[in-house]
Amino acid sequence: MLAALAALEEAYARRGAPFEGRTGAGAPVVGYVGADMPVELLTAAGARAFRLTGDPESDSALGDRYLGRGVDPVARSVLARLLAGAFGDLDRVVVSRDCEASLRLFYALRELSRVEPGRRLPEVYLVDILHLPHRTTALYNRRRIGEFAARLEAWTGRPLDLAGAVAAHNERRRLLAAAAELRRAVPARLTGRQFLAVAGAALPVEEHVALLERLLAEAGRLAEHAGRRVFLSGSDHDTPHVYEAIESEGHVIVGEDHSFGEPLRAEPVGGGGLDALAEHYHHSGPTAHRATAAERAAHVATAVRRCRAELLLAYSRVGDEAPAWDFPAQRAAAGIPAVSLERQEYGRADLTALRKDDPCAV
Amino acid sequence: MRSVKSLATAAEAGRHQREWFADLRRRVAAGEPFALLNADVPHEIFRTMDIPYAVGQWWASLAAAKQRSGHYLELVRQRGYPDYSEQYNSVTLGSAFDPEPDSGPWGGLPRPDIIVGDASGDLTRKIFDIWGQEPGVTFYPLESAAENEVPANWWELMPHRWEQAVGPARLDLLTAELENLVRFLETTTGRRFRQSRFREVMALVNEQEEWNRKTRDLIARARPAPLGVVDSIPSVMLPQWHRGTEWARDIARRFYEEVRDRVEAGHAVCPGERARLMWIGRGLWYDMGFYQRFEEEYGAVFVWSMYLAIAADGYIRHGEDPMRALAARFAAFTDQLYTPPWSSEWYVKEARLHGIDGVVHLVSDDPRGSYFTARALEAAGFPVLEIHADNVDTRTFDGEVAERVGRWLEQVVLA
Ligand code: SF4
Ligand code: SF4
Repeated sequence: MLAALAALEEAYARRGAPFEGRTGAGAPVVGYVGADMPVELLTAAGARAFRLTGDPESDSALGDRYLGRGVDPVARSVLARLLAGAFGDLDRVVVSRDCEASLRLFYALRELSRVEPGRRLPEVYLVDILHLPHRTTALYNRRRIGEFAARLEAWTGRPLDLAGAVAAHNERRRLLAAAAELRRAVPARLTGRQFLAVAGAALPVEEHVALLERLLAEAGRLAEHAGRRVFLSGSDHDTPHVYEAIESEGHVIVGEDHSFGEPLRAEPVGGGGLDALAEHYHHSGPTAHRATAAERAAHVATAVRRCRAELLLAYSRVGDEAPAWDFPAQRAAAGIPAVSLERQEYGRADLTALRKDDPCAV
Repeated sequence: MRSVKSLATAAEAGRHQREWFADLRRRVAAGEPFALLNADVPHEIFRTMDIPYAVGQWWASLAAAKQRSGHYLELVRQRGYPDYSEQYNSVTLGSAFDPEPDSGPWGGLPRPDIIVGDASGDLTRKIFDIWGQEPGVTFYPLESAAENEVPANWWELMPHRWEQAVGPARLDLLTAELENLVRFLETTTGRRFRQSRFREVMALVNEQEEWNRKTRDLIARARPAPLGVVDSIPSVMLPQWHRGTEWARDIARRFYEEVRDRVEAGHAVCPGERARLMWIGRGLWYDMGFYQRFEEEYGAVFVWSMYLAIAADGYIRHGEDPMRALAARFAAFTDQLYTPPWSSEWYVKEARLHGIDGVVHLVSDDPRGSYFTARALEAAGFPVLEIHADNVDTRTFDGEVAERVGRWLEQVVLA
């Protein structure tokens, strides 16, 4: 494997753990939940911030108990791992409201801290970004972004370097979009599984940017991946399990619309400070949990063509039913064969339907 | 199985409901606009503008009572949508897909011109937006916002100090959304929104819920229980859908008087009362007799359900600015029932107030805050029995629940 790709893979394997970064030793360690996190603010505060991820192979009993088994198992796993100390010593947990499961996770943590102070859980904070496409929502989001920025300054006792953070994250977005082009090439020069590592490497943003640059410089030497080209729609994949299962059957995932893959929105955050940041996250893309079925279908139609997918594979996990509501409109809009896998176990994919000759018949 | 509605107000509420719906169908057939509203959005706007409306959750529970949910879910499934998620809303959506809408309960639900729901959870907006794609139907979503830190004692703060309980961010947002909704309705229906009428409606709602509060307090103190939840639910729930009318205010008063008369006459719903039970969760609409099944054999009476209690504590909002007071009624409405610490502390407060001996907790597939509610009740010394079911989907109900409750009564509550 190429050096850059190997380094990204190695950093991806360390996801869900605080990285040893260049940020100072006194920097607060912040675990965050959910795709709607304005990470620019965490970087601007100098935090060592990383997204909390679950693990389908580890015990989720406590998460099941506190959240109930009807909630997305990813959130249950994150909560169980957090309570088991799997993320190391966290100074703070910041939760975004990207989906209902994340919100429930926030409420559970807040209540556990209240009724079991002896657990000494890290302080938990909610960033409530909403998504109706209206000015009323925009004003609300701006207020919440401002409150979060103020809270971060209070935590660290120093002003935020917002412009620097925005520039760094924009550069990462730009490079990720370029890496996504490698995967969109025919034949693909990155597998879906590799792309998860490219996008999800647990690194401080500057180190991530440096590795992405190296990856792009080495791109000419990347292997080619034949196989049926699949666009994966639906639930988030915070681990590689499902990608590995699908690609082990000779498919290549050349695009997806969940928050651990290619960013749904490639546009940079504008230069308008907190206003621009609030606007960016207000319109962060048609996610399964916040967009309408019509918006999701329009997005899939464009994305499928762009990545020359041959099959639309819609995946919805048990407890994460929103994507299943999108499928009828997506299938109608995609213009390619489409298969829906519903009520899938966390980390698993029942691929029987994919093995049939004519997926349209499914 | 005995499920006699013995209260005059319950019977009247049922009769009124049929008349109201027949009248609504006539008005809509004559060309008036029709709104379908979710339970937790401000109906008061529509009441003020005299726009006929029905409540989605009421319709779904009627469909369940008439064994119609399965049919509607099948229509949802036929279109390729999941029939296993958020069934309150999907049952209602399914009735929109019915090729013979008039064959529905009570002549069927008319096609709405506008649907209003809040974007709570991951599905409500998606489901109603699908309906909004149908010709002539507009979906008007409201946000469902959340707060970081809240004072726990919401039931003390809400009547007057709601600004403190809910917080200004959520109030500003919903107030602005409601002002926009009024403009939208004025534009699309040609009807007017008069502030004086709005104040009247808001006052009527507060009066209605104040009567419910007195009734709740009376039932909480009375021994033996003058009535069980089978009587109280229809007497309080149906008038809720008519909030802001004089009829609803007056029936809430008469409900109070009926309960008071029973208490004064020493009437006992269950003469050998040995245990006072609390029911947590949505009502078992299709089997209301369930609640009475334990009276004769065990002397166990369900004296508490959320319907009267939330009417008593959840709606009253006084204040100079009626639009902001209305926003305060709904900006955090479901948190009162489902989000700890509000939910957990409130259930404990209610259990103490009613002298509860045991709690039966219906945990749906979507168990919002359930663990913390049960835990708080247990920590406060109340035995809790959890049963798992979804009350609209008759297919997942477990017929052995009654047996389990019986065993629990024998072994825990009455032991
Ligand atoms: S609060 Fe609960 S019971 Fe009431 S309408 Fe909302 S979901 Fe239904
Ligand atoms: S009692 Fe209140 S919360 Fe429950 S369904 Fe009726 S309106 Fe909704």
